Amino acid sequence: MYELIDVIISGVTNGSVYAMMAVGLSLVYGVTKVFNFAYGSLYTLGGYLAFTFFGCGFGYPLVILLTLVSLYLAGLLIERVIIRPLRRREDWEMLAMMVTLGLAIFLDNLYQVVYGPYVKSLPIMFSGNLQLAGFMLSIQDLVIFGIAVLVMGGFMIFLNTHRLGMAIEAVAQDMTGAQIVGIPKDRVFGFTFAISTVLAGFGGILLAPKYFITPFGGWDILVKAWVITALGGMGSVRGSLYAAFLLGIIEALIGWQFGLTWILFAWFAVLLGTLIVRPQGLFGTWG
Amino acid sequence: MIEIERIDVFYGEFHVLKNVSLNVAEKDLTILTGPNGHGKSTLLKAICGLQPVCSGRIRFAGKDITRLSPERRVEKGIVYIAENRHLFPQMSVLKNLKLGAYNKNARRDEAANLAAVFELFPRLKERKKQPASTLSGGEARMLAFARGLMSNARFLAIDEPSLGLAPNLRMNVFNAIREVHKRELTILLVEQNIPKIAELADRIHLLEEGEMTFSGDRETALAQDTIKQAFLGM
Repeated sequence: MYELIDVIISGVTNGSVYAMMAVGLSLVYGVTKVFNFAYGSLYTLGGYLAFTFFGCGFGYPLVILLTLVSLYLAGLLIERVIIRPLRRREDWEMLAMMVTLGLAIFLDNLYQVVYGPYVKSLPIMFSGNLQLAGFMLSIQDLVIFGIAVLVMGGFMIFLNTHRLGMAIEAVAQDMTGAQIVGIPKDRVFGFTFAISTVLAGFGGILLAPKYFITPFGGWDILVKAWVITALGGMGSVRGSLYAAFLLGIIEALIGWQFGLTWILFAWFAVLLGTLIVRPQGLFGTWG
Repeated sequence: MIEIERIDVFYGEFHVLKNVSLNVAEKDLTILTGPNGHGKSTLLKAICGLQPVCSGRIRFAGKDITRLSPERRVEKGIVYIAENRHLFPQMSVLKNLKLGAYNKNARRDEAANLAAVFELFPRLKERKKQPASTLSGGEARMLAFARGLMSNARFLAIDEPSLGLAPNLRMNVFNAIREVHKRELTILLVEQNIPKIAELADRIHLLEEGEMTFSGDRETALAQDTIKQAFLGM
């Protein structure tokens, strides 16, 4: 019984980080209608950047701060240099998707050249356990969960109340409508891409102490984030949240009972089962 | 106020606007009419920056705006009210209106504009908490119009505001346009086949197959057979 609850807690912890990352992927898709194939590689970028900053001898708070700022700038740069020039063309969405796929392959190989093929890891954030009502809770898990929930909560509040957040929502719901009211489309696109890069890379930092950093490790995350957004409904931020926790728990249970190999199998089974009944996903809308 | 000088617009290979010129004087209500699919909406989109022009120039209040981004034009007071509305479906009526005041010149007048808009369309006030997607066709059109008024417009480009509306709602829309025009806004209105609105017009233009085939004041326009056919259905 205690073991089951431990497993569920671990699932919820992973689920919270998955949720944070899926929100980022879903956001870019909702706003630009471009699926970002480089999302997994940006997750890896977060891990390697943090690894590099640790190498300079900084502690966790400074490493996280520096990594997030670098990720934000990297996101702006990628959008500006390789995606924005495509937008002048009619069929830019498809071109942009292909370009993000190319970017993913480029980045992954770049990591391999710079950091080598062997796994890297980040130091443990917090060691020790917390005894609570008979359960052993790892402090690190609690902190990861807390950070992910805070980041998502803050982001939701930002989307709903801040002018720029409302502008992002407006572009996602009707791009022409947004232009009609004078929302600067290019700026919203750039900001959205940058924020989504931060969310992906932050996930990379939070999961690195558990899952390590490898040059091609992002693909697993890309597939996972994609399953989450598809299950939740493409473009629906709320859907991604529910789907991430659901799949996080399923992952923990399957890994515990049947082994890690069966996790993606189970995820896709849940996804396919859901899509047969609700092709638009849990919270998706048509069109 | 708006001076359009010999513009050409293409959709791919298709030449939509051919050497079109049009002037709209300050505080005038100008009507642009003509058959469906002959470029009326395209001309409005070109003015608002949603459709790039290939050649020619557009000036607003004496300044060249041909290459200006849509958001910069909104800041200058050029506001487009689209025929197919382009509302934000999952946002409340109130949030739609607030986004209408997104540009930095409209921000400080948001509260006053909101009160004015609710006075003009009490129906929207009743429904302010409802998502825009739940509005009826007529209400959605009111909201699109009201959202445009939130932007502190100096120049309104209105695309077929009465299309598909029941006669009583149509009168509502015309009253709103009349009301807004009284506040000394310059208006370029795309309409067809609506005799009622002609009474308000200072000038009437006819756009056929992408070319401006007639421009004149109301009296001359209404005496023309082509206009009578195109506009009044006579």
